[in-house]
Amino acid sequence: MSNSHLFLKPAFITTPGQNGVGRYVCQLQRVVLKFCKNNGSSRGMREFIETKLMDFVKESPEVAVYVKPRRHRTPIIKAEYLNGDTQWVNARNFTEDEILKWLKLLKSQSSDRTGIRLRKLIHTDFPSVQGPWTPYTFRDPQLNKVEFPCPELTGPFINETSATEELLELYKRQKLGNVEESRAE
Amino acid sequence: MASLIPKLLNNFSRLALQNSKKLNTRSAQVEKLSSILTKCYGTQATPYEIIDEEKDNKKSDEIIQKVQSQLTESKEGRLFAIVHLAGKQFRITEGDVVVVEGYWPPSCGERISLDKVLLVGASDFTLIGRPVVQNGLVNIEATVIEKTLSHTKTHFRKKRRKQYMRIHFYKIPQTHLRINRISIVGELNNPPEVSGLEKAIF
Repeated sequence: MSNSHLFLKPAFITTPGQNGVGRYVCQLQRVVLKFCKNNGSSRGMREFIETKLMDFVKESPEVAVYVKPRRHRTPIIKAEYLNGDTQWVNARNFTEDEILKWLKLLKSQSSDRTGIRLRKLIHTDFPSVQGPWTPYTFRDPQLNKVEFPCPELTGPFINETSATEELLELYKRQKLGNVEESRAE
Repeated sequence: MASLIPKLLNNFSRLALQNSKKLNTRSAQVEKLSSILTKCYGTQATPYEIIDEEKDNKKSDEIIQKVQSQLTESKEGRLFAIVHLAGKQFRITEGDVVVVEGYWPPSCGERISLDKVLLVGASDFTLIGRPVVQNGLVNIEATVIEKTLSHTKTHFRKKRRKQYMRIHFYKIPQTHLRINRISIVGELNNPPEVSGLEKAIF
């Protein structure tokens, strides 16, 4: 079994430059599509460049897209983010749809997220508004005035009536019943 | 049989009477203890309690008015809320970042409002929904700032003595949400007679 996820770098959520507080800024700076003009493994990439690349560019004016042909090498997508991260995706034998999907993912990311495991799925600067819970929240303030050692508080807390107590009560009730009966007679 | 029970009881009573003094003191202690240690916060009245509805209403009206005055003077301070988002509950305040796991359609840069609010609170008061706070009372705005994939997770399956082993690798799509604003905009304690119609399509 692979335990590689155990050795991933654990990290908390980070957002570059308070992104989204005022407005959203796309964090992808530039993308380089590297491919071979005649190798079969680049076929999808070539088709993508011919058919879908212009639409992608029009959709995302904030991203600079470069196309770099090179001979006899596998196609890759290289992305550079505003925070300086670079990430590349091996696009060998990818179809044009797959390439578009990966490009969209790279565009929507804020940095290279590979090899990072998020420790918490929420980030807050204000962990508590009403004050953190303590053992004394929602307790009677009378407890503050108790002097210790206090025999009442140290014993076990039993709220239920015991069997003997219940029997006693039954007995009392019975006695009352007898009295009423005698009165009736 | 019927005659047996009082006999038995009598026998018990003889036993019990010896300890009755002890027991009485103990029960008194328990009463005192229970008054300190536990407080009933349920809606049901304790048997000895006398409920005066007018008095109760007056008290709740007073509390609501206090909250309302805080809201009108905008002295409520920082608000937090518990929202139901894509099957999970999150405690959020302004400026938080929340990660929603799994496929979720909103795309980057979109502004959305979170409607399933289970609870809103400030430092001095809490509005609790049953189960959801009334629609239109609270306004929570959020921005989608990132859509990524989680780290590679492994799913390992093995059957003993059957020469069967599989490792599956998968990633979960994640959406990062920035909470922009939480505010109480509606009127307190004035729910509409009919709700849910504003979103229904006939």
